[in-house]
Amino acid sequence: MFANNVRCVPVIVGNILKISNTLARNYAFKSNLKIKWVRPEKPSCISTEISGDLGLDVKVDPNEYCKKYWNSKELEDADDIVKKMFTLDFNKRKTTVVVQREKITSLVKNHFMDTTSMETIIAKMTNQILQLQEYMKDHPRNLPTKTHLKELIEKRKKFLGYLRQWDYKRFEWLLEKLNIIYKPHPHQYLPVTRKDSLRKLTTKHCDKLVQEKLDAYRKELEEEQKIFFKEKAEKLAFIRAEEIACGVTPTVTEEQIEDVRKKAAELQ
Amino acid sequence: MATRKGKQALTLLLGQCVPSMKENAAKIRVKKLDFDAHLNMYFNKHEYLYAHDPEKLCKTGDTVLVQSLPSRLTRIITHKVVNVIYPLGDITDPITGKKSVVSKYRDDIKRVHEIYGKSENAFDYDKRPPRGSQEGKLDFSHKEGYVKYHEDPDDPQTHAVH
Repeated sequence: MFANNVRCVPVIVGNILKISNTLARNYAFKSNLKIKWVRPEKPSCISTEISGDLGLDVKVDPNEYCKKYWNSKELEDADDIVKKMFTLDFNKRKTTVVVQREKITSLVKNHFMDTTSMETIIAKMTNQILQLQEYMKDHPRNLPTKTHLKELIEKRKKFLGYLRQWDYKRFEWLLEKLNIIYKPHPHQYLPVTRKDSLRKLTTKHCDKLVQEKLDAYRKELEEEQKIFFKEKAEKLAFIRAEEIACGVTPTVTEEQIEDVRKKAAELQ
Repeated sequence: MATRKGKQALTLLLGQCVPSMKENAAKIRVKKLDFDAHLNMYFNKHEYLYAHDPEKLCKTGDTVLVQSLPSRLTRIITHKVVNVIYPLGDITDPITGKKSVVSKYRDDIKRVHEIYGKSENAFDYDKRPPRGSQEGKLDFSHKEGYVKYHEDPDDPQTHAVH
């Protein structure tokens, strides 16, 4: 009989726990706040989100000549078919890249022979990054190129960091010209976890609640201020009138009363 | 025996402003030398302190002079910002008083460009606004970065890095 009763105990306890949530305690604390956490997707290391490129408004016409023949006098009075042979459309992809590079570097060049200044180097890198990002869309399995592109993006970020330290105005101007977003590396690259993210979100939620309460209290006090200044102006005027009537030198000046009246009017 | 409390000495420290979330106060990193008795050598040691800065004199990365307050303003604010000595990326050579970029004077760089023939699109210092024109738009280096931890269209984490 006794043994039977003992066997029943865990079942009963289990039922009680199921019925009342307050008694139940799982393996860890669960918050009552309805915060939904969405794990952010990690973009590809060569994507525009990582590189920060917002795109440049530089267009290359396929009917343009290759860079080599820009100043050619022979082409000026050549036959139409010959002219076509020297356009970008009838040449390798690299010729288009070179023309685009020329156009992008001309946005930031200091003088016509400038190839070594930091801004020109970064402009050249930007051109290559933009080109390779387009290329990688069609050839996603080209791993050596992918690695090259990734390293290029990281190198450009490093160079931008240097330029920021050397010359801040030039750095900002370059970002504007090349339309790049610059975000420095964080202190640590820790993996994103559910627990840590939820903690951060809860802290954010609590801060928001506190701020809301503080704002509401401020509004309440400001409402009271309106009545207070109105009363203050009236009382100061009364004191002044009484003092003058009693023949005492007034302690309250007209200016003081005017100031308070102005403040009351401002608040209204 | 009568004890006399002497005047508290106000110390001046040179430090670098680092990004922080505090308002009206700047987080300053002060480099100190730490002696290792075993190796008989000095090593760099960084100390962090908060300096009161209601006028927002210093920006992230500036080298500033801070002075200790006679009594702490809050639990963490113990100093105040006196002056910005070297703004980041806008260095004035202390000997000649000329503006310089790394190891060259700005005037010299400008003269070289003029000899080559300055292009129209070239950078011009006089036409640019002071630092901060791209803050929060393209340049996110004024605040501390972190790894993105949440996806929410209503609250985009602009300073987050993937």
